[in-house]
Amino acid sequence: MTFRLLLAAALAVIPGPVMARSQAGDAPGGAEFKAYGCAACHGTTGAGGGWQGPRLAPAPLPYAAFLAQLREPASKMPRYSEKVLPEETVRLIYGYLQSIGPGKRAADIGMLNH
Amino acid sequence: MDPQKFSTTRRNFLTTASAGGLVLAHPARATVATAKAPEARGRSVAHAPHPALEIAPVPAPAPSARRPESAGAETAGGDRRFASDYMVDCLKALDLTTISEIPGSTFAALQESIIHAAGRAGSDISMLTVTHEEIGVAFAHGYAKASGKIAAALVHSTVGLQHASMAIYNAWCDRAPVVTLAGSLTNPVARDGFVDWLHSVSDGPGLTRDFTKFDETPRSLPHFASSLTRAYRMAATPPCGPVVLALDLDLQEEEIPAGTRLPPVAKPVIIPPQGEAAALLEAAKILAGAKAPVILVDRAARTPQGLALMVELAELLQAAVVDMGGRMNFPWRHPLNQTSRRGAALREADVVLALEVQDMAGQTAPARKARKLSISTYDYYLKANYQAFEELAQPELAIAGDAEASLPTLIAALRSAIPAAGRTAIADRGARLAAASAAALVASRDAAAVGWDRQPITTARMYAEVYDQIRDKDWALLNAGHFQSFWGPQLWNAKHYYQYIGDSGAYGLGYLPGAAVGAAYACKAEGRLPIVFGGDGDFMMTPGALWTAAFHQIPLLYIIHNNGGYHQEKMKVQLQANERDRGVTTASTGCVLPGLDYAVIARGMGVAGQRVTDPADLRGAIKRALDVVSRGEPALIDVVSQGR
Repeated sequence: MTFRLLLAAALAVIPGPVMARSQAGDAPGGAEFKAYGCAACHGTTGAGGGWQGPRLAPAPLPYAAFLAQLREPASKMPRYSEKVLPEETVRLIYGYLQSIGPGKRAADIGMLNH
Repeated sequence: MDPQKFSTTRRNFLTTASAGGLVLAHPARATVATAKAPEARGRSVAHAPHPALEIAPVPAPAPSARRPESAGAETAGGDRRFASDYMVDCLKALDLTTISEIPGSTFAALQESIIHAAGRAGSDISMLTVTHEEIGVAFAHGYAKASGKIAAALVHSTVGLQHASMAIYNAWCDRAPVVTLAGSLTNPVARDGFVDWLHSVSDGPGLTRDFTKFDETPRSLPHFASSLTRAYRMAATPPCGPVVLALDLDLQEEEIPAGTRLPPVAKPVIIPPQGEAAALLEAAKILAGAKAPVILVDRAARTPQGLALMVELAELLQAAVVDMGGRMNFPWRHPLNQTSRRGAALREADVVLALEVQDMAGQTAPARKARKLSISTYDYYLKANYQAFEELAQPELAIAGDAEASLPTLIAALRSAIPAAGRTAIADRGARLAAASAAALVASRDAAAVGWDRQPITTARMYAEVYDQIRDKDWALLNAGHFQSFWGPQLWNAKHYYQYIGDSGAYGLGYLPGAAVGAAYACKAEGRLPIVFGGDGDFMMTPGALWTAAFHQIPLLYIIHNNGGYHQEKMKVQLQANERDRGVTTASTGCVLPGLDYAVIARGMGVAGQRVTDPADLRGAIKRALDVVSRGEPALIDVVSQGR
């Protein structure tokens, strides 16, 4: 019984599921970036890092190098043939990566400077 | 066979012990038992550090350090005594007093004896209920790493040990001491009906023999006493590992006639093996002449003293330290810690000293030109079937020995081997490494800032937000974070041995919930704040562990890294699809877990649960969760996050 009272008190301060706040929709190419699996390794923002793919944004590779890496990738990245990913879609995805701004700087985020 | 006749013959378990054995009697002084109701909440027990796992390598402790022998003659006035009561006495004598269990009829007698013993005034036995044997063994695994003490896990004969097997394999790969006690029915006469036959096996521990250090099915109580003591010693002696004993129910149930002599049990003193002195001297000479030495550590520090020795070694040599993360081997913000620039540090190396590194061949591969030395117990105890020993490494010096126990000799030899003329160069090396470490921290922070305000929430922000609110508390991180890009070691600052316990060992799913609760139970005794970041797929394997935390009032902050499923596998299936020129956009099929709300699941088990999708809401959610934890309860936050 004591347990249930404690639990009820604990849960009373916890709100229900937090609803996502609306944020600006992705630029053109964002949906393709996710659909074709790029986001799986590089994150939805192209941040990359850790045990996944390298950072793609902001300031992605020059387009020619970007396309070459897709078609004949170095390291463990999946190969994206023209059949799998037509160049028209590659350009859309590249445009999306170019649209991603630098965002906040670490120096301006207090909790990253402890 | 005539059952009646058999029941007489099986009394041979009462083998007469030596003259030093205990005489069971009915003492005149009755012990008043304060029995707990079965439904009572679990209680906190303050556990002292485990001396057997914290013994300095030399000199051997004095005999006075030994724990008193088991009091096998303990009886309440007029109590009848049963074999399982003696088994509990033996467990107590070995400090195996933290016991996880999910009931199974094959150890019902032992369970009743534990309940009986736990109900006595002053008892230090804690039996914690779990909802799956995999959780029970993982609980003991996490508990051992966080407390330095060994716990026991009770599992039911065939089906229970089958459930537990993955967790035992984790403990094997992670070199963690865990004692699993499996009920057993090897005697067909003792089986009662068809279910008992289904749950019987002639050689139960054979199931896990490929990945345990020791197992046995004792046939008598003296056999049990020696078997348990041997199991304990095997588990606790580096290389540590899991052991299994199968305990026949008919043995547990036997009544012990008054006056029967049974052997006492004394807790063994564990002295880890040291590397051969001449080899350590040679290693010291090589290290002393190195221009760019790297110390590569995996499960090297077993105790706080081991961590201190690791710092002493690194600072003496001003060597780069690269931590594989198997244990808390080195302070995360120490200027010599080069883990964040592991590849560069190894490429620069001319000598690599690997300490208890499981995958030495793979992990030292970037150090192509380096002389390679190893101090490890991995050569001591291997088995042939499961390939956890990794690719064969052939270092120039492979010193068989426990790294922590060997460090004092190595350090002493190194002090003599470093020429006075070389000290300036060593100091310069340290300064260069400190600068590189500082630059790596800046790079980590810059990387953490990317996508800071985006959804799904980045794993970097998840870690940073939690650390912002707990950094001044006495915290412990209970996961390695390889699925979250290792943001813990990059952004947090662990300095103490207890602040990090490594990972599963076998890289399988289902370890973390149980291990985190077990480790959190150890933290509770010390008043520490345990925190774990666990994957959603991992959690769904063994979610019932949270119920144990709620029921036994074990405070724990559990963050779910909810990336929508089995992210690593999604990438691998995608790789296959790409190589085959088909189906990239559907490659995640079978790898995702849509529609799950972990906060709701947590609340259903009595755990305060919240769900966060917007990074701006993290701060408040973490504060509310910490308030719950500070009141002694577990709390969970389901963070809808990036893949890694």
